[in-house]
Amino acid sequence: MDVADTLPGHNAGLVALLTKLQPLLDSGRMDNVVDVLALVSDLVDMLDGAMVEKLALLFEQATAVSWNVGNAARMATAQTQAEETPPSLYGLLSLLREPDTRRGVALALRTLNVLGRQL
Amino acid sequence: MSKHIVIVGGGVGGTMLANQLVTKLYSEILRGEVCITLLSNSPDHFYKPAFMYVAFNQFFDEELKRPERSLLRPEIDFRVDEVTRFDFAGQHLHTRSGKRYGYDFLVIATGCVPAPERIEGLKEAGDHFYDYAAARRLAERLNTIERGRIFISVSFPKTPNVPHQCGIAPVETTLMLDDLLRRRGVRDKVEIIYTYPSVAQLLRNCLFMQRPVGEALPGIFEQRNIRFQRDFTLGRVDAERRIAYSEEGEEQPFDILMATPPIRAVDVVLESGVSQAENDEGWLPTNHETLQVYGLQGVYVIGDTVDLPISKAGGACHNQAPVIANNITAEIRLGAPNSVYEGRVQAVAQMGLNAGMPLWYDYAHDVLPTPPSKLGGLLRTGFNRGLYWAVARGML
Repeated sequence: MDVADTLPGHNAGLVALLTKLQPLLDSGRMDNVVDVLALVSDLVDMLDGAMVEKLALLFEQATAVSWNVGNAARMATAQTQAEETPPSLYGLLSLLREPDTRRGVALALRTLNVLGRQL
Repeated sequence: MSKHIVIVGGGVGGTMLANQLVTKLYSEILRGEVCITLLSNSPDHFYKPAFMYVAFNQFFDEELKRPERSLLRPEIDFRVDEVTRFDFAGQHLHTRSGKRYGYDFLVIATGCVPAPERIEGLKEAGDHFYDYAAARRLAERLNTIERGRIFISVSFPKTPNVPHQCGIAPVETTLMLDDLLRRRGVRDKVEIIYTYPSVAQLLRNCLFMQRPVGEALPGIFEQRNIRFQRDFTLGRVDAERRIAYSEEGEEQPFDILMATPPIRAVDVVLESGVSQAENDEGWLPTNHETLQVYGLQGVYVIGDTVDLPISKAGGACHNQAPVIANNITAEIRLGAPNSVYEGRVQAVAQMGLNAGMPLWYDYAHDVLPTPPSKLGGLLRTGFNRGLYWAVARGML
């Protein structure tokens, strides 16, 4: 007998929900769903403002880095594709004359420096 | 010839729109047919809703700002230069540095500013949380008051059916105040009185600008022993005697007057002469669907400067930016705008220091209040501390 048939009175919302749940009940997998709900509930209990603040900061740092690198790669790709011939050696060196290039090189070198410091 | 899009204002509206325009018009930008310039009067971008948290010692100055350049895609030409004059007929503008910028499309994203000086005595005796310095001053008062009376007032613009800044903020701060005073152990000695003016957009004699929330508020306030009063339109303040007088003829003493002050558009918008708003408030006549400024060629407006009946808040900009990005793109590619703004605004209201209530509304639907929850509060914290910056970058 379906669980929905055991309900006293008629509640359309509850009947629809129980009909959806019927396959889970029949196969004994409903326990998993209840376990997941309990786990989510435990996580909500354990979360506090300070933990969410740290997670949110981590999210910002990760998205900002991926956004910056993605933007740089996209723009550099477009500029490189727009060149009909590959740049000459002199052309490559002249890129270094641009302040933004030098700033980028400095950032890369400093990143390596700090990575080394953490070894 | 290259089309020049100029965005004025480095707040959340201008920033997210600039990034979304780059995405939309990327092929034209690569071909050199479109260029985008963003002008701001500050090298920093401020998460303005955090000023409210500053008043409750929940945010440091350093946490609520980022360099504007770091939030903009590299294709955008960003200049720190304040606009001093618009010449709409000539399709150009002038800046503090003496430069002149021509434009094919202009987006005004200059926001609004608190104007407590527009009510006699309010600047001298009142407090608010709509900029950093004012919020810090209020924080010092809220954290030292031992006994007395905190009086909350809300001032709407005089322009009909235009709301004050961030509609839910007075309710949020009233509930946060109650929590703060309980934490400090002085709540039983400090009286909180929440008041609302007689006219709130289309409603009269209410506690909130939308009926369903207004009807839920008495129950919420009574639970917390917060007094509430309708029909108190702040008329003037006696700074010396610390008494607030209403336009309805009532007087209320206070120890702290926590006010949502009058607001206005920024000077350069006021001086442009385009606004038809009452009381020299400067709201631009806005097409409520396309977000173009009526009577001007190629000019759009986003955020607080509109004269629409929707919240002056980031949650409105978030829904306006894609519409303007689509419309400018459609004007360039098809010759006419093709997207419509439906007035949607969404937010997570901070209902006390630890609880939150997700909400949304649009031109046709009011906010339907739901029970504030811990999960809602954590969602708001997550937004304040991390998600916001992804939204400003146009990622969410």
